[in-house]
Amino acid sequence: MAIEIRNVEKTFGAFTALGGVSLDVRSGELLALLGPSGSGKTTLLRIIAGLDHADAGEVSFDGQDTRDRAARDRKVGFVFQHYALFRHMTVFDNVAFGLRVKKKAERPAEMDIRRRVDQLLTMVQLSHLASRYPSQLSGGQRQRVALARALAIEPKVLLLDEPFGALDAKVRKDLRKWLRHLHDDMHITSIFVTHDQEEALELADRVVVMNHGQIIQVGTPAEVYDHPADSFVFDFLGGVNRLNGVIEAGVARLDGKAVRVDGAVGADGPAVIYVRPHQVELGVAPADGVPDGKWSARVSSLHAAGPVARLELDLAGRALEAQLSRDRLSDLALEVGSWCTVDFRHARVFPAKS
Amino acid sequence: MRLALIGLAILFLAAFLALPLVAVFSQALAKGVGAFLKGLADPDALSAIRLTLTIAAIAVPLNLVFGVAASWAIAKFNFRGKSLLLALIDLPFSVSPVISGLVYVLLFGLHGSFGPWLRDHGVQIIFAVPGVVMATVFVTFPFVARELIPLMQEQGVEDEEAAIVLGASGWQTFRLVTLPNIRWGLLYGVLLCNARAMGEFGAVSVVSGHIRGKTNTMPLHVEILYNEYNFVAAFAVASLLALLALVTLAAKAALEWRFADQIAAAKR
Ligand SMILES: Nc1ncnc2c1ncn2[C@@H]1O[C@H](COP(=O)(O)OP(=O)(O)OP(=O)(O)O)[C@@H](O)[C@H]1O
Ligand SMILES: [Mg+2]
Repeated sequence: MAIEIRNVEKTFGAFTALGGVSLDVRSGELLALLGPSGSGKTTLLRIIAGLDHADAGEVSFDGQDTRDRAARDRKVGFVFQHYALFRHMTVFDNVAFGLRVKKKAERPAEMDIRRRVDQLLTMVQLSHLASRYPSQLSGGQRQRVALARALAIEPKVLLLDEPFGALDAKVRKDLRKWLRHLHDDMHITSIFVTHDQEEALELADRVVVMNHGQIIQVGTPAEVYDHPADSFVFDFLGGVNRLNGVIEAGVARLDGKAVRVDGAVGADGPAVIYVRPHQVELGVAPADGVPDGKWSARVSSLHAAGPVARLELDLAGRALEAQLSRDRLSDLALEVGSWCTVDFRHARVFPAKS
Repeated sequence: MRLALIGLAILFLAAFLALPLVAVFSQALAKGVGAFLKGLADPDALSAIRLTLTIAAIAVPLNLVFGVAASWAIAKFNFRGKSLLLALIDLPFSVSPVISGLVYVLLFGLHGSFGPWLRDHGVQIIFAVPGVVMATVFVTFPFVARELIPLMQEQGVEDEEAAIVLGASGWQTFRLVTLPNIRWGLLYGVLLCNARAMGEFGAVSVVSGHIRGKTNTMPLHVEILYNEYNFVAAFAVASLLALLALVTLAAKAALEWRFADQIAAAKR
């Protein structure tokens, strides 16, 4: 099912949690809502589910306005951040809940409910724990019960609020892969909230970056990573060098030398140049000074475990991180303390925030 | 150190709780079981027992419903006048029961605000059973709500929201999710409410008029008998009251013991 969100606004008292958000969620995609704490991700998710109401704007499912559809009639699967499992019910009863509360005419026979719940528990690999209570489960197991419970009503949309937020790194990674497979099998339109950029980039078909109740950028993980819309997205996705420079007469300069940048340059004044570590080009320092248009830097540390080498460089007092292949590193014959030339294959510049 | 503290606590309990209790029972049985039973079988005593049970049977369910409704509203919704409602719930705790009784007399008594109108319509509240019931309901109102509000606030609304998204109606959500989540708190609230409903003296004393065989509750009857130097009968009725309290306590303890694991799970 496709979801269209048009100019949705939501305020809490004087605070604007969502300031005119528009978004098209395509049928069957896995979409990540990525943003820092307080950026309005949960609020947007709750409005889609019908748990909160927008002050203005509209949300439609397959072209149908949802204004008059109560949360209980929307057929959305919602996985809460803290799971919200019913603590007095067994795992089995938790998963069966959505089927058992159906109106008499639509309710499956108890035998069919059993079969369906067994199926779901097998799918989330928890059949052996059906008669346990939530308090007797690990975090990852609770998470999967919550997912099975949400899927039991055969939702048209699956909404997950920080589905892996409360889990440790290892379990997180496993569940992430598992969720991706599950989505590929079932093709339910799914939206998950996260403030972990790695998770969003790795898992989602498309990523929506939010800040201060606004959508800053929407795109595939590659688009968002390679072409961040602004300095916020750059900063938030992380893994980037920030170098203080200037813009003079429409040219970005670092220590007086011009930097070739992608996209707009912006107004004259102090500026920040953003370069990803793998876009830093290193070269052998010539004996007689530095060739024009290039910078020179000294290697201050070097990590060469795995296929990629990471170097910390000192560029005129600034720390600069670079990544290159092990082969390239041995071609350059660099060690800690040696000098090299530096250039940037791709860089972006944004006016410095005063 | 630990032993000393435990010993002190036990000593204190023995002196201030157990000793009076023992005294009540020994006084009641001072002239033998026959005198004890005679004291209880007196028609006025029987009527007092019946009235007390009736009052509890009305006040407890009423406050159960009001208490759950009020706590639900306070814990799960935001609305204007919420703090006023909270203050009102605490009112019976903060004013002396005698004042509570007097307020009813001022409202519904012969010379009260509604007195003449009630008299014209042939309704008697003060110095009659309705007044006694109303005063008891008022005095015992906070027990259920006070027990439930912190519990429901702590539990939040996520469980309810989960149920609603799964397609449950409001009533299903309440019956299948909210009620099981609060059942232990509710039970304690009801037990406490019941104990107070049976034992209330001050407010009831003001509105009842002490009409023997009609508006006398057990605590009032005990006082009357005592003032008449009828000690055996007084203590016989008193011991019955104490027994009711002990049964309540025992029921609570038994339930706690029987469902310890469920209670622990519910708190998580
Ligand atoms: N019921 C509410 N009352 C008042 N303010 C609220 C309410 N719900 C959310 N807010 C505010 O709205 C803003 C957005 O909240 P939201 O929960 O959507 O953030 P989020 O992006 O999910 O953050 P997080 O990553 O921390 O979960 C926050 O500043 C929050 O304080
Ligand atoms: Mg959130």
